[in-house]
Amino acid sequence: MKCKRFSFSTALLVFVMAALTTPAMAQQASKSLSSESAIETIKKRGAIKIGLSIFKPWSMRDKNGELIGFELDVGQKLADDMGVDAEFIPTAWDGIIPALVAGKFDVIISGMTTTPQRNLTINFTDPYAYSGLTILANSKMTEGMTLEDYNSEDVTFAARRGATPATLIAEMFPKAKLLLFDEDGASTQEVINGKAHASMASEPTPSSEARRYPDVLSVPFGETFSATGEAFGLRKGDPDAMNFFNNWINMHTKNGWLKNRNDYWFRGDDWADKVPEE
Amino acid sequence: MRNKPLRLHWLDIALIVGLGLAIAFVWYRIDGALNYKWRWEIIPNYILRWHEEKQRWVPNILLQGLITTIRISLYAGVLALVLGVILGIARCSTNLAVRMLARTYLEVLRNIPPVVVVFIFFFFLSEQLVSAFNIEGWARSIAKQENKDVWEFFFGDMRRFPSLISGVIVLALFESAFVGEIVRAGIQSVGKGQHEAAQSIGMSKPDQLRFIVLPQALKKVVPPMANQFISLIKDSSIISLISVQELTFKTVELVASTRAIFEAWITTAVLYFIICFSLSMLFRKLEKPAEINR
Repeated sequence: MKCKRFSFSTALLVFVMAALTTPAMAQQASKSLSSESAIETIKKRGAIKIGLSIFKPWSMRDKNGELIGFELDVGQKLADDMGVDAEFIPTAWDGIIPALVAGKFDVIISGMTTTPQRNLTINFTDPYAYSGLTILANSKMTEGMTLEDYNSEDVTFAARRGATPATLIAEMFPKAKLLLFDEDGASTQEVINGKAHASMASEPTPSSEARRYPDVLSVPFGETFSATGEAFGLRKGDPDAMNFFNNWINMHTKNGWLKNRNDYWFRGDDWADKVPEE
Repeated sequence: MRNKPLRLHWLDIALIVGLGLAIAFVWYRIDGALNYKWRWEIIPNYILRWHEEKQRWVPNILLQGLITTIRISLYAGVLALVLGVILGIARCSTNLAVRMLARTYLEVLRNIPPVVVVFIFFFFLSEQLVSAFNIEGWARSIAKQENKDVWEFFFGDMRRFPSLISGVIVLALFESAFVGEIVRAGIQSVGKGQHEAAQSIGMSKPDQLRFIVLPQALKKVVPPMANQFISLIKDSSIISLISVQELTFKTVELVASTRAIFEAWITTAVLYFIICFSLSMLFRKLEKPAEINR
């Protein structure tokens, strides 16, 4: 009986130690794997996996449940130029950078603004779009307020957690209170309900929201803030992919294709009948 | 006892009227304060839509999400049941190492919130699993085949198979901890007399478990098991955080695309209620024979 227990425990110990070393070896294997470029992986796979998060009008679901938007056009064109299929992986915004780092997709094309904090974790290409942020305010609560008046303790802002407007509001209006939500719809609803004075979001969202609720909402200032540019996000340590994407963006900026698509989705209303809108 | 006629007491009427007034009051206050334009007419299109080319009704995003949720709950439920029974038996084993291992696994998974477990598993472990078994290559080759309809019926879009598998595994691992405890309670509630009687007619330990103890134990724990499976269906909404395309995730996308917050979430709540309530009815049918046998 004693002998049985001893040999069983030894076997168990050996098994546990073996199980612990296997992840360590896998770690080393994955380190050498990550020195291989994403371009090679894409070519081998025959498809480029693009992570994005639903955000009007960068990407959204139309009436048929299909993905449409500026990012979809960009991604499809990129895949066509590479000669591969395009696969779009809708991801929750909060987890999109960890998912890229963990290898769930090859590149983030999701209207992601280049910021230094994000750049510490992932690499960004050159910008392929420049959209600024504007303030969306509750007309009644903010009547007659100048830009400086927004920076006071009595003012409450609502914003989407983890998105650029939240950081910008904290910088520009440090004295004001800031409420954070998981999606833009919720933060806009706060402003409509009068629980927050204003929100900030990338154009064209504030203008289209103000058009939908003209008696409650307004865009008080014509100026846009922080038009630093959106870029592709990719994993660190991949110079080949960086070179490829940068040249692709440069080529399509110079030949006007990117501007053409950008104007279609952001300035115009032609696509409005594909999505339910007020 | 069953033939007492149903008569309305004045208290019943007072309660019903009071409840009706309270609901009407709350609704009036919400409607006034919310300042929201209801757009119910867009929701049916997102459940079923008419496909022009195929000339038939095709499920749209909400129904697709519902089907994925049902698939995930089913596979995770079966896996959790198997793992849970093994765990429950291990917890009652006479071998100290086995008991301790089972106890550790159980306590770790029971005492960490499911969201945290999902994130840890997804970002650290699932990628190792997927690359170790080359699941992605295999799933992709199936997606390119011609006769993938059978696969698509069981697993949906095969290109999303790795994330589906990660979601099912983490959900099963998490729920098996609770199922294990339930099974252990069931096994320990079977009287000592049963064990001794089985031993006296010469049954070996495994046979004892298989023919005498487990059938009785499992029959006893059907109510808490029903609870746990309904809880599993609701917990499946957590794996929307790892971007598995199930009902909650699809609803988030729908809200982001159309800004119809309340309509979308209320519809989703109704859909979840339908699944969970049907399961609860099914389990009630399972409980009935158990009651009569006593």
